[in-house]
Formats: sequence, structure tokens, C-alpha cells
Amino acid sequence: MRVGSTLLLKNKKCYQSYNWSYFRPLGSLQIAMDSLDEYECDEVAIIRPVRDCDSLDLFSRDLDVLRELKAMTPISFGGGIRSREHLELLEGLPVERFVFSSAFIASNQALVDSARRLFGKQAIQCLLPVKVDADTIYIYDSNKAQFLRLEKVDLALINELANEVVLYDTSNDGGCDSFEKSIIERLPLERNKLVVTGGVGKSTIEWAKREGLASVLIENKVLHNEYSVRGFKDVK
Amino acid sequence: MKVDIVDVGSGNVRSIQNWIEKCNVDARCVRRVDDLVSEVIILPGVGSAGPYMERLRKNSFDSAIIEHVQGGGRLIGICLGFQIMSSFSQEDGGIEGLSLIDAEVKRLENSASHNEWEPFAFRKDQMNGQSFSSSEKLSRKTILDGRVFYNHEYGVINNDPHAFTVPVSLKLNQYSGMFVKDKIIGIQFHPEKSQLTGLELISMIL
Repeated sequence: MRVGSTLLLKNKKCYQSYNWSYFRPLGSLQIAMDSLDEYECDEVAIIRPVRDCDSLDLFSRDLDVLRELKAMTPISFGGGIRSREHLELLEGLPVERFVFSSAFIASNQALVDSARRLFGKQAIQCLLPVKVDADTIYIYDSNKAQFLRLEKVDLALINELANEVVLYDTSNDGGCDSFEKSIIERLPLERNKLVVTGGVGKSTIEWAKREGLASVLIENKVLHNEYSVRGFKDVK
Repeated sequence: MKVDIVDVGSGNVRSIQNWIEKCNVDARCVRRVDDLVSEVIILPGVGSAGPYMERLRKNSFDSAIIEHVQGGGRLIGICLGFQIMSSFSQEDGGIEGLSLIDAEVKRLENSASHNEWEPFAFRKDQMNGQSFSSSEKLSRKTILDGRVFYNHEYGVINNDPHAFTVPVSLKLNQYSGMFVKDKIIGIQFHPEKSQLTGLELISMIL
């Protein structure tokens, strides 16, 4: 199982988030990536935390920073990839995998198919921001800036088209080892395709290894407390 | 020494350039076939085999790369760039490759996707006499033992008994993780994203 980290990219700067709404600035993307390279982090997901107010221009400006990034760690990138115009801007980035959220939630198969042709099937990840509330699971649709009931999302399509699915626990985002483990019990997705983030700590990593998940992404602890990710990799 | 990186608008060529330049070797991304002049060419590849081969053919890179190898030039193929060196790939309904190596590309067993770090080790003195003609001596290192990053759904099956290969992993040992024959090296993993092992590898093979 891979042990990675998450970085947020907003207005050309790097952040980490708490509770899906508060942002802690980290400075330049390059400096944060240099630290993660040094920690031998297995992978880094760079996510634009966009909501309904995104534009192609803002997207393009963030890509300018990403395009110049020099890193020797596998990178996945997503946040706001919503049209073919967005896809065209992605070519030549120092990125191995692309993360789609709204496109999957809206069942925009044409866009995902185009991405699969351009970047390969292995390069497509789906991001599902999840919230559990009174036994009901909600998925956040960033394009509409609202939570939808899980039943509104075509999970069969996601299982078919996404190489991996990132489950982001929005309620525990930035928390200390509090990822809501019942989420995966209630989502009919293949375990070996799942990546979890949002409140990931050592006990979450132990559990994820037992469950045979693909990866965990530690969103705050690595850089916030300046821990090396190696301490998390040693978890049995 | 200079290195040309084939850039057909598909693949993370900037990461490859960064990887090469970290060992103090000049590397440039080449978009026009007439600009391919260096003794070492890198063929990177991200995407699927069909569209990738179309782009190579459209820009006449396919014949230029074959001529480069036949003329004694060195070639490094990475990930999809390694796969399309073979004669045939199962991907996209069946794609004819460059036929530079005696190998074929098949879907990984059980239709699995392989997105993982794997241990990687090789010794130069066990390379079946295959040296890739490295003359620059960027490193005196002869043994590499580290870990490398894979992200693929298809794998290369070598049919050439004289080629030197390192398997992808113990579990996926029928597929080649690295292939060396004469002046061709194929690498299935992403050396440019394999941190210290990637850096040590490039200094050993260039």
C-alpha cells in the first residue's frame, strides 16, 4: 500500500485544509514538494479546492505553477477539470495521474473517455468528497457547491471508468486519525481501487493495510508537524 | 553528451528533462523530427498505445527513431515509450509498434492495474554483455538496489533470449521492468518519479 500526501493549490499558492473549509497557507508549491520529495513520500495528490466559482482562466493560472514544478515523486492532479478545454491545458504537465470529481458525479462519460484516450486508463482517478450524517452518505458536488445523496451518483460508472477512487472524508479533514471507516463499508467499490484521505493517521493506516486499500493520503501531518512520512510507512 | 526527448504532446516530458538534468547532462524536448540530433534519444510515453503511435507517425518520429537506432544511436523508452518499441501491443484493439525489440505487449494478468512501488535491483556485470554502450562514466556505481514506481495496465513480454531483463516484480515476473539489448533500453516504471533510485539509474546507464 502506498503512503502519500495531499496538497491544495489555490491562486498559485499551496495550502492544507481543515474541516473542508479552512485553509492553512504553506507557501510555494515547489517548496512543499521539495520537502515531500526529501521525505520519500510515495505520491502526492495536488488538488485545487474549487467550488462553483472556478473559471478556465483561474485554472490556467494554477497550471502555470504546476507546469514549472520540478519533482521526483509521482503526482496526481485535479480540481476543476470540467471540459475538453480544460483537458487540452493538461498536456505536458509533470503529472502521472488526473483526478476528476464533478465529471464523475455528473456522469460526464464523454469527458472521462477523452481523458482516458489522452492519458491512458491507468491515469484516471475519481475523487469523491464524502460526508456521513445520521447514517446517510452524502457526496459533495464541487461544481454545484452542494452535497448530494449517494444514490444520485452512478457508482457503477465510476467503478468501470476510474482506475482508482479517492474517498475524501470532508468531516474529518485535517483531523487527527479520525477517518470515518464505515464509509468504505457502504460504498460498493472495489477495495483495491480505494485511496482514502481526510483524518488519516497511524490507526487509519493500519486499518487501510488490513483492508487491502490502494493508498492513503495524509493531508496535514506530514508538513504541518514536519514529520517525515517514513514514520507512517513503518506502520504494520 | 546531450539527450533529446521526443515530445509529441503526450507524456510528462518536463519530468524527464528534470530527471536528466539532475545528473548534469543537457536535455532538450524536441517537437520537430529534424531537430533530433543527439546521440541519445528518450522516448517517453503516457497515454494509450493507439493515439500515441498516431502522433509519432503524424510527425514522422517513427521512421526517424528507427533510423537513429539503425545508425548506431542509443534509445531509451519509458513506460508507453518502451511498450511501443515492441512489434505488437494488445492495447486499443491491437497496435503495430516500432518492432525495435523482439517483444510483445499484453494486458496484465487478471486485467489488473499496477500502481505500486516495487523493489528494483540489478548488477552491471550480470547484464548478459549488454552495456548500452555507456561511455561517459557518470557514476562508478555497478550495483543498484532501491525502489521504483509503476503505473501501468499493460506489460512487455520479452522474446529475445539475448536481451537482459529485470522483471517488474516477483508476482509480475513474466513482464519486463527493464530491458537492455545493444543500444536500446526499455523501462516500464517511471524512473523520473522514482526519487533516489531513478537518479542513480540514469547516472549508471548514460
